[in-house]
Amino acid sequence: MDMLDTQDQPLDVADGRVKEWTHAIEALIFAADEPVTTSQIAEVIAEVTQEDALSSEQIEVLIGQLNSDYEATGRVLSIQNWAGGFRMATKPEVAPYLKAFFSIDRQRKLSRSLMETLAILTYRQPATKPEVDFVRGVDSDYALRKLMEIGLADVIGRSESVGRPLLYGTTPRFLEAFGLARLDDLPNLREIEALLDDPAFNREKARLLMLEGLDAPEFASEEAEDQTDEENFD
Amino acid sequence: MRRDTSHTPKHPHANPKTMYRVRLEDFEGPLDLLLFFIKRDELDIYDIPIAKIADEFLSYVRLMEEVDLDGVGDFIFMAALLINIKVRMLLPRPELDEEGEPIDPRRELVERLLEYIRFKEAAAELNEFHEQRGQHFVRGAASEQQSLFEEAMPETLVNTSLFDLISALRRVLIEASEEPVHEIEHREYSVTEQRGYVLDQLAARGKRTFVELARRKPKSFIIATFLAILEMAREGSVVLSRTEAADDFYVAPGHPPEFDEPLSTNGTLSTNGSSTHGHA
Repeated sequence: MDMLDTQDQPLDVADGRVKEWTHAIEALIFAADEPVTTSQIAEVIAEVTQEDALSSEQIEVLIGQLNSDYEATGRVLSIQNWAGGFRMATKPEVAPYLKAFFSIDRQRKLSRSLMETLAILTYRQPATKPEVDFVRGVDSDYALRKLMEIGLADVIGRSESVGRPLLYGTTPRFLEAFGLARLDDLPNLREIEALLDDPAFNREKARLLMLEGLDAPEFASEEAEDQTDEENFD
Repeated sequence: MRRDTSHTPKHPHANPKTMYRVRLEDFEGPLDLLLFFIKRDELDIYDIPIAKIADEFLSYVRLMEEVDLDGVGDFIFMAALLINIKVRMLLPRPELDEEGEPIDPRRELVERLLEYIRFKEAAAELNEFHEQRGQHFVRGAASEQQSLFEEAMPETLVNTSLFDLISALRRVLIEASEEPVHEIEHREYSVTEQRGYVLDQLAARGKRTFVELARRKPKSFIIATFLAILEMAREGSVVLSRTEAADDFYVAPGHPPEFDEPLSTNGTLSTNGSSTHGHA
């Protein structure tokens, strides 16, 4: 795409076209039933207006402006960055009403075997089935098939090693279903190598880590809690 | 290895036709069983008494085979690994690494357990993300949100570890094997029949413990009752929870299943794809 001068400059609010672009962006994100990427938006605007006027960065700025407007006027909507695109969604405060409306009595959860398999894929991808099996100590055939069936995982290639086994990974749908813009948004896996190299010093810590790991349902990392707090204070 | 056999029944279950197959992997795997022992006995993960744990692990695996749970193969594989480590621990001269330092034969297993804990932790974090995402609603996705995880197991119905359940089963079976046998009646109990028994008991008395339901009954009765309870817990018609005793658990009435929908009579649980509730 040709880069015109306007793309490198800050948006001029006085420019009558900014309002039109903002409307277009809002309409596309509202009407789409999956996350829309900034390049999709740019292409559509270019097609309709016959000029390559907007960069991805500028579109993100305008989306940010929309979110501020929603916030300032007390809307229950916000535009979320999920799976590398943008999607309009309701805020958590109104979730109880929507759950009642859609008769969702409790949160849908993945079974622990699916969740563990998904976690391994998330951090180890691309991963072969034997790699996943080894970490869990069980045959993950069923879990992998199930994750593929519900669209959270997929075959993403073949390994170059002997037998060229299939490689599995997570999908964009996984990112969207877990509210992530990209995989990098996930916290890092806790490092255990360090613990192992100095067992005497860290023995107690390992023991605590272990108990936490076992009490998984109630467990929430401090990092995750911090994030929630920040969101609430925004 | 031999000394445990007095605790476990001596022959495979006589009537496999009545057996329902419960998928172990829906519950927990062999590494979870090791972590279960470590937590229960408050063991130091870097100093696992491997001989004791290997023996106990084996006795649990025998029980799982007896009950004919699907996926016992993974547990047998781990039992073999534990025995291998146990044997290596008994070697008069320890194995040495390249630098001449003695190798602890348990080290690899410990690393694996820690690695597994790491991913369990990651799974819990992912779950947090999923729950937060569940607070946001998007257009046109109502049906999707309903159906995406439709078949996921309602985990809250088993507020206890599968190994707690197996510990209870083990206790009742051991007691049963110590009771003098008065009648030589080879009556077989089916899982379907025992579902009825459990539901009747719960209807009459509300919450019961497994030991109350199965104590002083024939082995076939105990095993069929156990499988019936596992199956009903999966469907949500009973809720299981911990008792103060480590080797017992509560069985309480859960959400009633849809009565107009007959339960599959030859139902094997092993496909796990049979549930089509709520897709309408």
